[in-house]
Amino acid sequence: MPSSTSSSEALDAGSAGLLRTPPGEASGASAGTDRYARQTAADRPGVAQPVPVRPVPEQPWGKILIGMLALLLLLVALWEWYWRDFGVTPSISNTYGLWAIQRRRIDAGEGNATVLLGASRLYFDVQLPVWERLDGRRPIQLSFEGTSPLTAVEDLAADPNFTGRLLISVEPDLFFSGFEYRGGAGRYARNESPSQRIGQWLSMNFIEPYFAFDDPDYALRTVLARQRWPARPGKVWHTDVRKLAQTEADRNTHLWSKVADDPQYRELARGIWREGFQPSEDDPPPAVARRVEQEQIDRMAKAVAKLRTRGVQVLFVRMPSSGPFLAYENLMYPRTRSWKALLAATGAPGIHFEDYPQLQGYYLPEWSHMPLAEGERFTAALYAIVMREFWGPPAAAGTAPRAGTP
Amino acid sequence: MVFNSLTFVVFFACVLVLHSLPLRWTTKKINLLIASYLFYAAWNPPFVILLWISTVVDWYAAQGLVKARRQAARHAWMLLSVIANLGMLGYFKYGQFLLDNFTALMGTLGVPYHPAHYDIVLPVGISFYTFATMSYTLDVYLRRAAPAQNLLDYALFVTFFPHLVAGPIMRPTELVPQFAQPRRASADQLRFGLALMTLGLFNKIVLADSFLSRVAERVYDGDKIPGALDAWAGTLAFSGQIFCDFAGYSTTAIGAALCLGFAMPDNFRFPYAAVGFSDFWRRWHITLSSWLRDYLYIPLGGNRHGARRTYLALMGTMLLGGLWHGANWTFVAWGGLHGIYLSVERVLRARFSNYRPGPVVFVLLGLLTYTLVNLTWVFFRAKTFSRAWLVLRGMLGQNAATGPILPTFSLISVAAIIGALVLTHWLMRGRTLESVVARAPAVAVCAVWGLMAFAIIIAQGAGSAFIYFQF
Repeated sequence: MPSSTSSSEALDAGSAGLLRTPPGEASGASAGTDRYARQTAADRPGVAQPVPVRPVPEQPWGKILIGMLALLLLLVALWEWYWRDFGVTPSISNTYGLWAIQRRRIDAGEGNATVLLGASRLYFDVQLPVWERLDGRRPIQLSFEGTSPLTAVEDLAADPNFTGRLLISVEPDLFFSGFEYRGGAGRYARNESPSQRIGQWLSMNFIEPYFAFDDPDYALRTVLARQRWPARPGKVWHTDVRKLAQTEADRNTHLWSKVADDPQYRELARGIWREGFQPSEDDPPPAVARRVEQEQIDRMAKAVAKLRTRGVQVLFVRMPSSGPFLAYENLMYPRTRSWKALLAATGAPGIHFEDYPQLQGYYLPEWSHMPLAEGERFTAALYAIVMREFWGPPAAAGTAPRAGTP
Repeated sequence: MVFNSLTFVVFFACVLVLHSLPLRWTTKKINLLIASYLFYAAWNPPFVILLWISTVVDWYAAQGLVKARRQAARHAWMLLSVIANLGMLGYFKYGQFLLDNFTALMGTLGVPYHPAHYDIVLPVGISFYTFATMSYTLDVYLRRAAPAQNLLDYALFVTFFPHLVAGPIMRPTELVPQFAQPRRASADQLRFGLALMTLGLFNKIVLADSFLSRVAERVYDGDKIPGALDAWAGTLAFSGQIFCDFAGYSTTAIGAALCLGFAMPDNFRFPYAAVGFSDFWRRWHITLSSWLRDYLYIPLGGNRHGARRTYLALMGTMLLGGLWHGANWTFVAWGGLHGIYLSVERVLRARFSNYRPGPVVFVLLGLLTYTLVNLTWVFFRAKTFSRAWLVLRGMLGQNAATGPILPTFSLISVAAIIGALVLTHWLMRGRTLESVVARAPAVAVCAVWGLMAFAIIIAQGAGSAFIYFQF
């Protein structure tokens, strides 16, 4: 054995306790009458460390475990009952893992599929079963709420496996500001570990279909944070967006019925949008906002050009909005400056809902999204326009789409 | 995989079942070894190769050390182990950092140098398992320990999944002897182990991830200039986050090992009740600080060669300890500050050797320690020095005309959690968790355990990685 090193050679450079031991207190947990006291490696400098001691406190652990499980079961049942009473039903969580499953379809033999990319309007309003019924193939839904599709379009542009059709939704305040509430999905999908994949599968098969409370809107912190805390002066504080949609395993999503059916909840959703219409100190100066707008258009033009060299058909769509939301969008992003400039820069065609009577007149409870039945009707109308005017009849399953764009 | 994931729940249930089957002890150890490789491969399967390299190199280095007759040969075997481990660590963890600094140095000397950017992925936990395996050869080299009797026991020591990726950094003498005889947890060990895992996951999922992490993020990762209240709230939140995250991992790891019948050492002992920095380092990340003490500080001379050498050894150890945490100069600054604190404390202790503080002064010294530790966390958390200075200026009230960053709820939650955390540390300062649990009424233990488990479930953690995985 090496020469024993004195305890004064600890990293603390001395144990003569000026500050070590409080008056009247035993020196740490390693002394005194505590029968569970034990030394740590900090107490044994420069020697081989022995097998640790890990005592179990004396308690009736069997009874404690049973009691704990009973209490846990009771609390979880009450929590579940509370949220179901509020109107919540189980829904698949819209996680990055769920998105990654759909994204992988492109690299797993469905590279010629129709991909939907946008923010919440394309995500909630287009119903995949309706599209599939009309088209014969179910599109891949890659939209994310509150998120500009630009990064995801660039990701697809860089993926040679994708040769299909791309419907990109332009939701002006997100698209032209480049805002990405859920911007990390592409990176996540590329780096997703086997463990995360398994966890996603377990969660969406054994947890999410059965528990209504398993939704980010009802997470402990979220629930506590949205109580009526006094607002801190000096800033306008925005309310976080509440639960708006129900999602299925393949990301087919629709507006939550409570938004349409519950006047109080609908008003809450509208109030949250209204807050966003007010100027905020977080808003960039107008000159910066214009520059960002142009950057988004330029980047999209590059991505679209790249996609078109592979024969990908790209089509933009401006989804319906109404009331104060539409007024806000028209004020902030006038059609000529935003929508038309985008189409001109990319050279891709677009469908603006204001140009088609079939895409107007839908009920949008909170001015931005439509309930399920309206969404089904809208999807059929949109599909008809897309095929009639832009993409032609659907390609047979497994065959490549026509090259070029209208 | 991370402890706070569904994947781990299923994995751990399978491991427990396998470990309780009536199989031969060797078969059970092989099961544990395979499970540990699966645990690691669940992040990135190819990196298991690094684990094998580290295991095999140190196994043979230790064998060579035992057989070597001449001191030079012993040196050579020891150096092989150190170079192989530090080489791996250097390439994966510090390669880009060294290249960036070399490029910057060339730039200042007027030599244009533009190397290609290497996109090196840091293998999870490499800092932990390289230190664990190095301690094996170094203990054999220093004749503190005999080498393991068989490769299976040694490989399991390196790979044992509870401590593999984020510690506690175990020494071979702590774990290898536990593999010699069959081990299976008693019913009470299993239940207490599960309770420890619940406590650890509560710290991680509920306190660190749900409440504290986003407060720190808003202050440190945003572009807003923080005023005094926001800067302090963000820093205090981080002090709580890093404790709850890392101590939470250690507690979960200790609990998981106990469920299988193995004992792991304490890694934290209520560090925010530390009075002085030597006390802090006896309570914070104990297995790292003692590793650095035994394999760096003491070999550098420790306190055996006069005051000057002691201070140099102390600063050198703390600066390298800082760099161990990450390839960024901000971590070096963090370690440097702790080195300065320890040095100043040593000077004061020598000068006022007869001073004994009264109870009030003692508590005030504890609060001073916590405050100064918080100043170091600024450098630990900030990604750049400019952001660190901005937050420090904010904490000192020097950022004029700043708007609020954090909403009222964040301020209240930080005050409540950090207040409770520091108070708990003070109440537990001279106690162990076990002694408090043993004295508590069974109903209270049951209720607290149930409430923590309930909070974990309704917090809906997203399986975010532990902070120390990146180290």
